[in-house]
Amino acid sequence: MKEKYIHILGIVLTLGYGGLVAFLYAAEPRSLEEFTTKARSAVENIATKGTVVIGTYEVDAAKFNEGLTAFREDRFPAARDAFERADPEKRDARTQFYIAYSFYRQGWGRVSNDDALFKLGVEAAERVRTLDPDFRTDDPGLQLKTPVELRTELEEGLAVTADDFNPLRVFRERK
Amino acid sequence: MAKLKERELETPVSPDEDTVEIPVSNDLPAVREALAAKQLARGRALRTYVYLPLIFLTVALLGGLRLSGTDGSLIFVRPALICLIFAAILVLLFFRAGMLRLEGWFSEQMTGTQTVANGLVLASLFAAATQIFNSLIPEQGLPFWIISFCFLWVLWNNLFAEFDPKRLLKSLGAMFGLAFVTKYMVLANLTAPGGRSWLRSLIENPAQEAATWLLDLPRFSAGTGYIQFFAVLMFLLGLFLTPSATSKDR
Repeated sequence: MKEKYIHILGIVLTLGYGGLVAFLYAAEPRSLEEFTTKARSAVENIATKGTVVIGTYEVDAAKFNEGLTAFREDRFPAARDAFERADPEKRDARTQFYIAYSFYRQGWGRVSNDDALFKLGVEAAERVRTLDPDFRTDDPGLQLKTPVELRTELEEGLAVTADDFNPLRVFRERK
Repeated sequence: MAKLKERELETPVSPDEDTVEIPVSNDLPAVREALAAKQLARGRALRTYVYLPLIFLTVALLGGLRLSGTDGSLIFVRPALICLIFAAILVLLFFRAGMLRLEGWFSEQMTGTQTVANGLVLASLFAAATQIFNSLIPEQGLPFWIISFCFLWVLWNNLFAEFDPKRLLKSLGAMFGLAFVTKYMVLANLTAPGGRSWLRSLIENPAQEAATWLLDLPRFSAGTGYIQFFAVLMFLLGLFLTPSATSKDR
C-alpha cells in the first residue's frame, strides 16, 4: 500500500472514530440499547436537516393527516405529537397553525382558560406569522383564520379583565 | 533471471522492432535493503496514521466513561475546562522535551494529505490527553480542586525543567500512576456504595457515608477503575509509540 493511501485511510478512520466518540459524549446513552435508539434518531435528524439544506424538505402527509384526525376528535396532545412528527423542522406554516390552534382548543375553558397552554399557543402562532405572514387557513371548521386572529384570541384569554367576571361568559362558544 | 537473459539472447530482434531496455541489477543486497526500507516505512506509516489515532481515540472514549454505582449504567462525563488547559500544557511539554518536533510533523515538503493526517494524529493525542485528565481528576468537590492544583503544580514545574523524552515519559507515568491510585483506590474506598437507603448507609458505613458527603464523592461502580486503568495504560503506550517526527529526516 502506498503511503498516500495510508494517510487517506488514517484520515477517514480518525474522522469516523472521532465522530463516533463525539456523538457518544453528546448523546450520553446509558446503555447499548439506548445507543442504538439515539443513533437512529440522530441519523433521521441529519437526514431531515439534509433535505432542508438541499431544499427538498416536505411535511409527512400521512402523519399530518393522522394529526388532523386527532385534532378533529379533540385529542389535542395526540394531534400535536403527530403534527410535530410531520414537521420536525417546524417549517410548515399550516402544520404550525394547527399546533397553535390545538393549544387554544385544549386550553379553552368555559369558566377559565389554561394559561400555560395559551402561552404555548401564542409562541406557536408567532412562529406561523414568522414562517408566512400572509397565512390564512382554508379549514371551514376553524373560526380563527389567521395567526394574528388566533394570537389575539389567545392573548385576550391570558389577560385578566373586568369581562372575566361576567357570569354570561359561560355561554360563550369555543372558536 | 538467467533463463530470461538466455531467451532474450536467443530471440532475434528485427531492426524495425522497438526494444525496451530492462535494467538488470546484480546488487541483490541493495535491492533487498531498499525493499526492507520500504516495508519499514510502510509499517511506520501504518503505526503513525492508523494505530496511533485508534489508540488515542479509544483513550478519548474510555477516559470519560464511568459506570453508575446504583444500576451499572453508562455515564459519559464531559471534560471540565481545566482538563483542556492541562492537555494543552502537556502537548506543549511534549514539544519542549523533544518528544514531538514541530518541523517533523508540519513542513512545506509534506503533501496536503500527510499534513492533514498529521494534524489529525495530534488532535487525537490532544483529545486523549484531555480525557486522561478527565479520568484522573475527581469529578467534583474538594478533591477536584486539590488534585487539579497538584497537576497544575507538576505541569508548570515541568514546563521549565530540562527533559528528554524518556524522562518525560517516566515522569508522566509516575504522575498518572499516583493520580490513579489517589482517585480509584483511596477516594473510591472512602466512597459509600450507592443504591442503599440513606439510613441504612449511615448505620452500616457511617465513616464512608460521612466521607462521601463531606468530600462530595460521586458513587461509581468498581468497574470504572478497571476501565480507567486500561485507558491510562493505553495512553502511555500511545505516547511510547508516538514518533518525534513523521518526515524522512527523523
